[in-house]
Amino acid sequence: MPESSEDLITLSGDLHARPAAALAIAAAKFQSSIELVAGDNHADAKSVLSVMGIGATNGQQVTVRAAGPDAADAVADIIAILAAATEVGA
Amino acid sequence: MSEQARVGIVLVSHSAALASGAAELAGQMGGGQVRVVPAGGTDDGRIGTSINKVRQALADADSGVGVLLLPDLGSSVLTIKALLAEDDGLPDQLEVADAPFVEGAVAATVAAAVGGDVKAVLGAAQEAWHARKL
Repeated sequence: MPESSEDLITLSGDLHARPAAALAIAAAKFQSSIELVAGDNHADAKSVLSVMGIGATNGQQVTVRAAGPDAADAVADIIAILAAATEVGA
Repeated sequence: MSEQARVGIVLVSHSAALASGAAELAGQMGGGQVRVVPAGGTDDGRIGTSINKVRQALADADSGVGVLLLPDLGSSVLTIKALLAEDDGLPDQLEVADAPFVEGAVAATVAAAVGGDVKAVLGAAQEAWHARKL
């Protein structure tokens, strides 16, 4: 049975295009499937256009869910990227 | 990982400015790891396409593991087809994407940055039809 993991973060800035690309590149390193949820919008973290399309903005809560053998590491990594990418208005 | 050869991308547009702007944008999305090469405008700088520019861009984009060609509109496709009808000196693994220009360029570049092969990069570009902006 695959592991699953979930965590959430409140964004301190909008999720812009370049950090969305960095997130998708980081997500691709994991075997687990990784999903982002922001409000009613869902994104496949490994698809850059999907991540850009969720329109995650400052103050919004984003949930990161992963399922697979490296799910816990994947969630920790993606949460860290979201924190770093949005705090400097990158 | 940075030593690994990446699939290259050639953006073929009627406008030199559009091709180079899209290449700049996509290249930054790929973290500078992918060769995204513009081939826009005619040889004398007008709006149109140039088989010579596309041929040169293919050579510049190729690092031995394949190249994806992404045309903007209409006769960009015809120019690419004319080039593909030649057998000489083209990269071995060459695919042409039927995809939206900007979204396809960004999705393809990210797929190349993570080490995808030319089929994976083609697939990422063509999935861009399904990406919603709003």
